[in-house]
Amino acid sequence: MTSAALLTTAILIVALGGQAVWPRFRLTIVTAGAGAACLVTSLTGAASTRQLLAAVPWDVLIMLIALGLLSELLVASRLFGALALASTRRSGAAPLRLLVMSSVGMYLVSGLVNNLTAILFVLPVLLRLYQLLGVTQRYLSWSLGVLLVACNLGGAATPIGDFPAILLLGSGRMGFVDYLVAAAPPTAAALAVVLVITVVVVRPTRDLEDSPLRRRMTLAVMQALYRRVTLERRLLVPAAAAMVAMIVAWVTVPPTRVGPELICWLGVGAALATAPRTAERLLRTRIEVDAALFLLALFVMVGAVSRAGTFAALATWLTQLPVSPMAQLAIFLVFAGVLTGLFSAGPSMAGLLEVAQLLARDMSPTAVYVGLALSVCAGSSLFLTAATSGPMAQIMTEKAGITDRHGAPLEFSFFRFAPVGLVAFVVIQTIGLAYALAVAAAA
Amino acid sequence: MIDPSLTQSFLAAAAELGMCSAAWLLVRELAAEGGAAQVATIRDYLGREFPVLDAVCARYLAGQLAPVVDPAPVVAACADAARVLVVGLEADFLDALVPALDAEVGLLTHSELDVDWDRVLANYGGRVVPCDLASFQRFAGSRGALVTFLYGVRASSAHVNPTWLRVIAGDVRAQFRTLIGWDVLGSEMFVYPRWLVQAPLADFSHVVP
Repeated sequence: MTSAALLTTAILIVALGGQAVWPRFRLTIVTAGAGAACLVTSLTGAASTRQLLAAVPWDVLIMLIALGLLSELLVASRLFGALALASTRRSGAAPLRLLVMSSVGMYLVSGLVNNLTAILFVLPVLLRLYQLLGVTQRYLSWSLGVLLVACNLGGAATPIGDFPAILLLGSGRMGFVDYLVAAAPPTAAALAVVLVITVVVVRPTRDLEDSPLRRRMTLAVMQALYRRVTLERRLLVPAAAAMVAMIVAWVTVPPTRVGPELICWLGVGAALATAPRTAERLLRTRIEVDAALFLLALFVMVGAVSRAGTFAALATWLTQLPVSPMAQLAIFLVFAGVLTGLFSAGPSMAGLLEVAQLLARDMSPTAVYVGLALSVCAGSSLFLTAATSGPMAQIMTEKAGITDRHGAPLEFSFFRFAPVGLVAFVVIQTIGLAYALAVAAAA
Repeated sequence: MIDPSLTQSFLAAAAELGMCSAAWLLVRELAAEGGAAQVATIRDYLGREFPVLDAVCARYLAGQLAPVVDPAPVVAACADAARVLVVGLEADFLDALVPALDAEVGLLTHSELDVDWDRVLANYGGRVVPCDLASFQRFAGSRGALVTFLYGVRASSAHVNPTWLRVIAGDVRAQFRTLIGWDVLGSEMFVYPRWLVQAPLADFSHVVP
C-alpha cells in the first residue's frame, strides 16, 4: 500500500472510531478527518481537494434533504399523531397487539419517510401510552427495541427509506423497482421472524397483568387527548400526491433522461409550493444541516481512501481469498454487518459500497447490493448506538420518566436493548445472507 | 383491585387535560367499569395524592354525574375584551369557553407537568394561540383579560395552578382590565391540595361559579 493509502485509511478509521466513541463531537471529528484526508491526498498527489469535492454524490445529499422535508410536511399535517391514535384504537390498548401494530406501522412508514423523523413524532405518543398502561421493564425494552428494528427494516425495504438504499438509487447502481422488488420481501420476512420470536418466545407481556380497566382508561385518555385533533389536509394531500407522483416517475422515467434526484427535487418542491408559509419555515428551520455536513465529510474521507486505492486493494484481497466466490460474498456481508454495528450505517455503506461495486463486476449486482443493504440494516440493529434513532429513543424514554406498576423507574439503555439487538442482528443477517447467496447462485 | 401505577396514568392525563377534567374522565370510566364502589376505592387510593380527584370522587358519590360547565358568565365577564389569555388548563371548560368567545384567545404554555403543547393546541384548530411567560404581556391592556381556573373556593381564597403566581405580580394586575377566576370544582377540597397553590380572591375582578 502507498503512504497515501495508509494515511487516508488510518484517518478514516480514527475518525469513524472517534465519532462512535464520542458521538457528542461527531461533526467536529468527521469534518476534521475530512480536512486531514484532503491534506494527505493533496500532498501525495493522489487527488486535489477540488477533485474530492467533485466526486461527492451531491445527488444523494439532495435526495436526503428533499425526502427529509417531505417527512416534515407530513409531520406538520399531524399524520403521525393520527396514526398512533388509530393504532391504539385498533389494538384496543392491549399491550401485545399494540407492540405488533406499532412495529408493523413503523415498518411501513419508515419505507416512505425519514425514520428518524417518524420516531421523533411517534415515540412521545407511545411513551404516553406506556405511562397510561403501566408497562413492565421487559415490555418497554422489547416494544421499543422491536420498534427501532422495524424502522431499520422499513428503511431498507424501499429505495427511499434510508441512507444506504438512497445511496444505491441516487448513484444509479440500482433502479427503483429493482431494489423494491428485491429488498421488500426479505425485510418483511425478517420483521415477521423478529415479531414471532418476540411474541412466542420472549413473551414481553408475561409479567404484565392484563387489566380491562387499565385498557379502558388508556383508550379514554387517548381519545380525550386527540378529541378534536384533525389532519391538516392542505398539507397532507399535496405531500401524499407528491409522494405518489415521485414513485410513478421513479418507476417510469428512464434515469438516463431525468435522474431520481431531480424527480425528488421537483416532487418535493411542488408539494412545498402548495403551502408557501409552511415551506419557508421548514426550509429555514427543519433541514438537517448537521446530517448533511456529516455525510459530506464522510464522502470526502471515503473519496480520499478510494482515490488512494485502498478499496481496490481490499476488493482484490477479498476476491483472491482461497474460497469460493459465494464464500467471499458471505465474508463481505458479515463484515459489513459487524462494521455497521460498530460505526453505524452511513459510514459503513459509504465505504463498503466502493468494495461492493468491485465485487458486483463478477457477481449478480442485485445479490451484492441488496445483500449489503440488508447487512447494513442488520448492523444498524445490533447496538442501540448503531443508528441515530437509538440514542434519541433512550433520551426520550429517560425524559418521560415512566415507572412500572409498582413505581419502579423504567429505562431504555444500551444493555436493555442488547438482547433485542442480538436477536434482530442474527435474524436480519441470516436472511440477508441467505437471500444474497440464493440470488447469486441463481445468477 | 386498584392498580398502584394509576398514579402515573392520572398524572399523564392531568398534564394535558387538567386536574379536574382528568378526574371526571377517570371517575366516568371507573364508574362504568365498577360502579360507585370502584370510585370510592380510587378515592381512598389516590385522593390524598390528588385532592382535586378526591373532591370530584366526593361529588360523584354525592350524586353529581358530570362536571357543570357553563361558560356564559365567563363570556359575559370578557364582553369588552379583545384578547383573552388563559392560564392553566382544563380541557372540558376550555372546550366550552373558546367557541363562545369573540376575542383572540391565548394559552400560556407553561406547566410543571410534561405537556405536549402542540397536541393540546391542535384540539382548538388554530383558535387558540400559544403564549409563553416572556411574551404574555402582549395580551395586556384595557381590552385584555386573564382567565384561570379555581379549585376549592373559600370565602377569601382559592387554589390555582402554580403558573398563575408566575403571572400575577402586582404590576401585572394593573395591566389587565379583567382578571377572571373560574371555579371548576364547585366545592371545597378535603385534603391539602398538592400540585396547586393558594391565591386570594381579591386578586380577581370576577370570580365565576
